[in-house]
Amino acid sequence: MSRDTNPNVTLGETAAMREGDLELERTLPDHLVAVRDRLVEAFGNVAEGDADGLEVLADRRELTVVTGPERLIELLAFCRDDPALQCELLSDLSGVHWLGGTHEASAQATTGWPTYTEQRTGRIEVNYLLTSISHGHRFRVRVNLDDEAPRLPTATGVYSVADFLEREVYDFFGVVFADHPNLQRILMPEDWEGHPHRKDYPLGGVEVEYKGATIPPPDERDY
Amino acid sequence: MSSDQHSDQPPESGAPWGEEESVTEPTSAVATHEGGDAPARRAEPEYTLVGGDWEELPDAVEDDLMVLNMGPQHPSTHGVLRMRLTLDGETVVDNEPIIGYLHTGIEKNVEFRPWVPGVTFVTRMDYLSPLFNELGYCLAVEKLLGVTDEVPERAQIIRVIMTELNRISSHMVWLATGGMELGSTTAMIFGFRERETVLDLFEQVTGLRMNHAYIRPGGVSQDVPEDFVERANTVVTEIPNRLQEFEDLLTENPIWIERLKGVGVLTAEQCLDLGVTGPPLRSAGIPYDVRVTDPYCGIETYDFDVITGEDGDAYARYLLRIEEARQSVRIIEQALERLQRTEGPVMLQDQKIAWPAQLALGPDGIGNAQEYISKIMGQSMESLIHHFKLVTEGFTVPAGQVYVPVESPRGELGYHVTSNGTNKPYRVKVRDPSFIHVGALPTATRGLLIADVIVAVASFDPVMGGVDR
Amino acid sequence: MGLEAKLPNGVLLTSVEKIINWGRAGSMWPATFGLACCAIEMMSTGGSHYDLARFGQEVFRASPRQADLMIVAGRVSQKMAPIVRNLYDQMPEPKWVLSMGVCASSGGMFNNYAIVQGVDHVVPVDMYVPGCPPRPEMLMDGILKLQDKVKNEQFVERPRPGEPMEEFRRRTGWIDPDPSVEGVATARFAPRSGTRAGRRDTPAGADAGPSQEG
Repeated sequence: MSRDTNPNVTLGETAAMREGDLELERTLPDHLVAVRDRLVEAFGNVAEGDADGLEVLADRRELTVVTGPERLIELLAFCRDDPALQCELLSDLSGVHWLGGTHEASAQATTGWPTYTEQRTGRIEVNYLLTSISHGHRFRVRVNLDDEAPRLPTATGVYSVADFLEREVYDFFGVVFADHPNLQRILMPEDWEGHPHRKDYPLGGVEVEYKGATIPPPDERDY
Repeated sequence: MSSDQHSDQPPESGAPWGEEESVTEPTSAVATHEGGDAPARRAEPEYTLVGGDWEELPDAVEDDLMVLNMGPQHPSTHGVLRMRLTLDGETVVDNEPIIGYLHTGIEKNVEFRPWVPGVTFVTRMDYLSPLFNELGYCLAVEKLLGVTDEVPERAQIIRVIMTELNRISSHMVWLATGGMELGSTTAMIFGFRERETVLDLFEQVTGLRMNHAYIRPGGVSQDVPEDFVERANTVVTEIPNRLQEFEDLLTENPIWIERLKGVGVLTAEQCLDLGVTGPPLRSAGIPYDVRVTDPYCGIETYDFDVITGEDGDAYARYLLRIEEARQSVRIIEQALERLQRTEGPVMLQDQKIAWPAQLALGPDGIGNAQEYISKIMGQSMESLIHHFKLVTEGFTVPAGQVYVPVESPRGELGYHVTSNGTNKPYRVKVRDPSFIHVGALPTATRGLLIADVIVAVASFDPVMGGVDR
Repeated sequence: MGLEAKLPNGVLLTSVEKIINWGRAGSMWPATFGLACCAIEMMSTGGSHYDLARFGQEVFRASPRQADLMIVAGRVSQKMAPIVRNLYDQMPEPKWVLSMGVCASSGGMFNNYAIVQGVDHVVPVDMYVPGCPPRPEMLMDGILKLQDKVKNEQFVERPRPGEPMEEFRRRTGWIDPDPSVEGVATARFAPRSGTRAGRRDTPAGADAGPSQEG
């Protein structure tokens, strides 16, 4: 049925993020509230005035704890060893590159979202996803790094799985992990230059030829 | 273009993309870093076709050790996996896996397409269990959209059926290739024969044998055909007999037992430290299954057991996978019965997100239904515009970051998806279990003979598409 | 009548070219070169349901030195490309390459920094089979067409029907006899890029002779 006859959709309403839902998303489930309280008790909370405490974020019923590179290893070791947290598994270690400068984030009018401009300084965020099997909770530790010369201490002393994961973050984002036993490129060839998953690295690719026309590669198209 | 990078000239100086990075040179395989600085620079790295650093490897330094290169083209390394084994006689002293021979840049490619076409990219990562890749991605997108509870129940049931069927077919391929790598071509023929029956079902429902792009954000792309339940029941009642055939061939087989028992052992602590999940972790005794800890698609309402083993060796993992396939059969039987009772749509009802096409079987195959085409082309301009916009630009997803794990046949497959509020994903990081398991190989294969290394690798079941993405 | 009546039973008359081509086509052993998803379909094709052995592809040889056909099944990444070339060079003549799937033929859906856009940038390809992945029947169709191609290969260049000899010589690069060399026959056809004898394997094509589909 088309949009104007479907009773579930009101024109102008944004997809599934109605005002009431936004409130719900910021609350945490109870087991994560306990985790948050334990972490804040041990490391402090920036929102309550501790300068080198943690920044606590909650979104989509997930807990994210933001810290700095200096306290990272201490925090990871605490999460692994503390009986209330006991995060036996480091599930994932990944990076996201937020390119600095001013960008137009293109949305489209069909769902009613406006086009908006973003402006930020460049940063690379490295996310550590910790999972506790015994307690059944999962949360994220995040570190924000400058994207010019990102450096972090290695987590291989706390979780051995960080070996391959940190090599991947180095390979794709250029984050140097100090004291890593074998910091080499892992997925790209050893002599590759550049860090492919950064936003200033082009997708690469060639023009696709058709009869009488060519289509540019995906990162050069304007739709 | 590719041959230039392996010529004898050192790489060009200056980074073409404006990066002032001083750490693009590789280090030798056994170098350790002093002082926590960036990896040591070498003066003039030289690259030949077969690698550049053979002079620094241990066998040049110590006479008793030999370095042997296994792969990347090898009939038994489960794909394009390269392992540099340091051997003392025939015993492995060290094993360095080198990966990246299948790196496709899928995660970066997805950033340039709208959200729904991302499914077609993501499905090709772990190509033996494509529906799990799709499921993880779609669950993450639905979590970001906040519509997890609005996905219709019939779609949830179909998702459970298709993914559990995929688990069975993946374990069949594991048995087939594992057997072949150990020399049992009978296992290979059996395994691929069983897989064909499951693939026939997939083809009937999705149109393709592999890499289906069937599970889409909001549901599945089309409903199952009318006779699907009977055909699926026929297949699923036959599978336990076929599994029994495998067991008759292999479980008590002295050759199989000799080759698999005690090989590739990882204790529970080692598994957790190395991030190993899935069958290897459960074979070490820890009952960690994402279907139980973070259930998805209503799977907690089905009755099934989480199988664990004790020894943590390759034989325990073999038994575990056969049992898991039987448990999957159990889940599918329950789900098929539920499917018959449940009516309804198979895609989200929110018209701003749901994929607009209605697919049906026509004279030339599966395509848009005739009524739908006549509606958008003839009757309603508004529907045409709506269809066009949603198919070319897609929906926008509110900004945020989520992590959603699913239990793939190999382990915990996690999708860490970041959105910046646009119609394209901002960053999709896939936590693939095979990648982690290949990182656990050095610990698991230390002290084994070369032939056992193959068994150990096979028991982890790495799929190189997932390792390299 | 005639010669057929004089022949005893069990004697086959043919040309050397035809029988050698028939032998090569009928017993072409593939090298195990599965890379990605297409490799699984290739294994299915070799399995019992879509048996490939009935077309002569009896065993998939692990060693390239014993293989005739390299089925490049899957996406070729930048890191893998030199290894593909290495393996191709290790295969002894006669050898053929079948590029299976769209990723091997043209880079497929992965138009990016990591994938070589077509394995024909690295090795010369005889048959392209599209699909993502191609069904086993499609792969078998490609293999059968390749076998047809092999059965029609020419060892020696022949004039086309109705072609004058001058034209033929010019087209195939006839090299006139060298008058300064005494007593040695030096007149010949230059080896041609299409025929097996004259195949130059570099992608850029080093030989100066006119090229033709071989």
